[in-house]
Amino acid sequence: MPKHIVRLLLVMVVAAVLAYAAKQFFTPKSFYQFGHYRGDSVAEIASDKPNFGTPKACEKCHAEKYAQWAKGVHNQLDKGKVVKCEVCHGPSSSRDVKGPFDNVATGKEHPQGLKMSIPADSVKLCTLCHEQMPGRPAEQRQVDVAGHAGTQQCTGCHNAHSPRDFGAVTAVSRKGDATKGKALAADCAACHGDTGFGKGLPGPNLAGQKEGYLAAALKGYKKAGGRSNDMMTGMVASMSDTDMENLAAYYASLSCQSARDGDKNAIAAGKALAARCATCHGAAGISSQPAWPNLAGQASDHFQAALKGYRDGSRKNGMMEKVAKELSDKDGANLAAYYADAKCK
Amino acid sequence: MTGSATVPDTDSTSKDSVQELSQEQLSQEQLQRRSVLRFFGAAALGCGAAAAAATAVSSQAATAIDKPEIPGYDWNQHHWGYGIDATRCIGCLRCVEACKIENNVQRDAHHFRTWVERYVYLEGEERPHIDSQADPVNIAASGSEKEYRFANRYKDAKVDKAFFVPKMCNHCTHPACVQVCPVGATYKTEDGVVLIDHKMCIGCQYCVQACPYGARFFDDRLQATNKCTWCYHRITKGLLPACVEVCPVSARVFGDLKDKQSPISKFLRDNRTHVLRPESGNAPNCYYVGIDKEVS
Amino acid sequence: MEPIAEIASYVGYVYPNETVIPWTVMIVIYPYLTGLVAGAFTMSSLYQVFGMERFKPVAHLSLLTSLCCMLIVPLPLLLHLGHPERAANPMITPHTTSAFAVFGYMASFYLILLVLENWFVFRPYIIQQAQQRKGVMGLFFRVLTLGSYDLSAKAMAADKKWIMALAITGIPGAHGLHGYVGFVFGSLKSREWWSSDLMPPIFLFSAIISGIALLVVIYVISCRLRKVPVDMDCLKGMSYALWGFMMFALLLEGVEFASLMYRAREGIEIIKEYVSGPLIVPFWTMQIGIGSVIPLLLLTFMAWRGTRGTALYNGLVLSAMLVLFSVLMMRWNVVIGGQEIAKTGKGLLTYHAEVIGRESLLTSAILLVAPFVLLWGAVRLFPPWVETEVHAPEHA
Repeated sequence: MPKHIVRLLLVMVVAAVLAYAAKQFFTPKSFYQFGHYRGDSVAEIASDKPNFGTPKACEKCHAEKYAQWAKGVHNQLDKGKVVKCEVCHGPSSSRDVKGPFDNVATGKEHPQGLKMSIPADSVKLCTLCHEQMPGRPAEQRQVDVAGHAGTQQCTGCHNAHSPRDFGAVTAVSRKGDATKGKALAADCAACHGDTGFGKGLPGPNLAGQKEGYLAAALKGYKKAGGRSNDMMTGMVASMSDTDMENLAAYYASLSCQSARDGDKNAIAAGKALAARCATCHGAAGISSQPAWPNLAGQASDHFQAALKGYRDGSRKNGMMEKVAKELSDKDGANLAAYYADAKCK
Repeated sequence: MTGSATVPDTDSTSKDSVQELSQEQLSQEQLQRRSVLRFFGAAALGCGAAAAAATAVSSQAATAIDKPEIPGYDWNQHHWGYGIDATRCIGCLRCVEACKIENNVQRDAHHFRTWVERYVYLEGEERPHIDSQADPVNIAASGSEKEYRFANRYKDAKVDKAFFVPKMCNHCTHPACVQVCPVGATYKTEDGVVLIDHKMCIGCQYCVQACPYGARFFDDRLQATNKCTWCYHRITKGLLPACVEVCPVSARVFGDLKDKQSPISKFLRDNRTHVLRPESGNAPNCYYVGIDKEVS
Repeated sequence: MEPIAEIASYVGYVYPNETVIPWTVMIVIYPYLTGLVAGAFTMSSLYQVFGMERFKPVAHLSLLTSLCCMLIVPLPLLLHLGHPERAANPMITPHTTSAFAVFGYMASFYLILLVLENWFVFRPYIIQQAQQRKGVMGLFFRVLTLGSYDLSAKAMAADKKWIMALAITGIPGAHGLHGYVGFVFGSLKSREWWSSDLMPPIFLFSAIISGIALLVVIYVISCRLRKVPVDMDCLKGMSYALWGFMMFALLLEGVEFASLMYRAREGIEIIKEYVSGPLIVPFWTMQIGIGSVIPLLLLTFMAWRGTRGTALYNGLVLSAMLVLFSVLMMRWNVVIGGQEIAKTGKGLLTYHAEVIGRESLLTSAILLVAPFVLLWGAVRLFPPWVETEVHAPEHA
């Protein structure tokens, strides 16, 4: 064979040997272990840390909420309808989660370095499942959002952990200290009366009102975009959350008395209208929920002012706005008479 | 021979030089031949040694290990399966969001390991309107590409029939994606899950093309392909895949087909199930109840 | 999250993951280049293997062209891969069930074949240059000789055998290299637009016509630059070759399209919508109308009327340029077109190619020009020219 052919073949053989050696060298050790892939990859993938846990993990510290949830309609094992904790609160891992899970104003870090959140916008969250939509099976409880509660937050009426249980306490404030509240109440007497109620007072009756509602109202005056009243905003400016809760506890502990001097016809008319208010405010004006105020014994003028406020938008509440729009001034007056006359605690 | 006209005419000279230099050339050639033979011999020995070593190593490996080192888990004891009851799905998209969070998938509208389709038949129309949470109208309803919600676009329309269908990788028995991968970066495990080895993947996206279900996508951050893994890192620890864990209406069912009492075994026993695109020959392992003719 | 450039807009319903088109314009350029490689090689083998003397003037030019295109072929793929540094993995752990795994070995084999054939063909020239040149270039040529200056009759006979063997092997080699691309598309069951047994021959025959057309253009330009007359016999031969192969290529494409429409399987409705809508300009107008019908009519006319001289020259060059354009459009319409038809069978996407970027129109333009920059250098290193006095410039 001519020299150049020999040398050419030599070069090619050397190249082939080098190529083969390289192939062997670069093949990962665990390749071909179980098949045509890198055997180590399976264990690597399996070793990733899970983000979502199970509700049992939450039970350890949140036993009360877990118990509410376990008994409620968000945990119907027989129907296979179970809304687990992490569906609304985000995964229990320590990875940051944004989205429907925006931290509420407290912004406190969850202990153990987790970053679970309390959903701030319940309308945004709950309607993901419960907005009436073609395609959702009939077994799924759905509502027409606008017609159901206007722009009211779902948690205004529903306990997120046990939504059909209206006796359970939703996320409201802690119980206050009535004794401490009494000390603070001195400043309030000028408008709200020494005993928390009265006739012709500048401020509404507070005696016997729901503690949760009072606390929320006070906090509302302090929050931007909450309740607006220059007098009240000034009054709460120097109050802490604890002060407000204590005041609420104090006034809730007082007993009130109804006016008992209304026009009989007006009262009768008001009673007829009041049927539609009963769902939230109770059949006799005493509500079942700590967040929904008692109406029984409320001063007539303040009652009507409140309704007007809801109608013209100066008082904001999605549910009440809808209700108020359906009521005329005369209706308001009749209702006011009925509730002023109703027995209060 | 071709070439330029100035190529020297070598024929006449070479004959002479062969005669004159024959003795020198001969010994030179002999030397050359010997060195060539020596080299070839060494090369052959080298090749043989390398080959022998390689076979020895691989045969050792083959006999010693029959399962990967996953603590507390033996893949020979399980065979996973997945069921979807489309009659229950409410299109809440919690599964889509949970999957993205659990598996660190890009939070945008173009990369999904799982998704939900909505089929709406309007009165008087033969063909359904189909959309998924990635549709721009639905992205607008959710407010951002990171959050997922179906816009209630048919609430004022006359709807004859509508339903939701969750979709994902079907972990086929004869996966087209595994077949076409040129390097062996995607594979089917002994317990029935199709996985991707991101350290081997070259990012050619042949598998993305081959999947008839659109389950695979290119992950820009990894510069490799990505897809649903049935949360392999969870199921090997006795947990459920994230989508199954969060589904509030039990539309998604998962379990061990080897266990006759597992949710999936019961699901298959109690229902007449369908699979998507059976004509593909891929033999998918996601079993559907409640889909209709337009779902593919 | 920065917007990803390749997000496709769409109508109808597409799978959420489909909005990022996986195979971009790089995967249009790649088969175009391998097509030129295969086509140019076929052109050279018409002389080397089938002994058609009239193609001698372009035989070695074709070989060099094939090599220069082959050197650029890996680039569009490397630019497309997510991990180009792992590009050797299909050769290290080839998954033999995958057509892509074949590519690494096939391409390497074919590149080596091309290098070898070019080396053997230019060996006498290399030896001459090694003896004459000095300095770096002298060293370059000396290395290429592999230390042998043997141009004896025995050596030349051996060379001739090798060239023949390489040329013969190269025909299935080149066609395998390019045909497997067609196979990759034709064997995928996930896209109805691609799934067809006729894909490999369609790709092959359009590759051949693109190769012939390319050589027409390159040969004509090279004669212009060297200020020598064009060999009209060779040109006329190429005209016949182009015409013949074109008819067959169009026949194959026509049969494929007709079967698709006739078979009318699931997915046909969206294909019809696509073909009668978005495809009107890139397919019907550009690929078929301008790129195929006009050159075919022109070539038929010239063949029928026995056109010669300047008229033949102009007609052929125009046809060749149109064919090159139509073959590029064919790759575009197959690759991009297939991905614009959603896998759902219920939607159509629109691919928006980046203008500048890694997988962009700019890089495509550079990749299309690069082989010819290389060729310009190659013909200076290894001139493939043949005396043109051997053949009469014009038939009487």
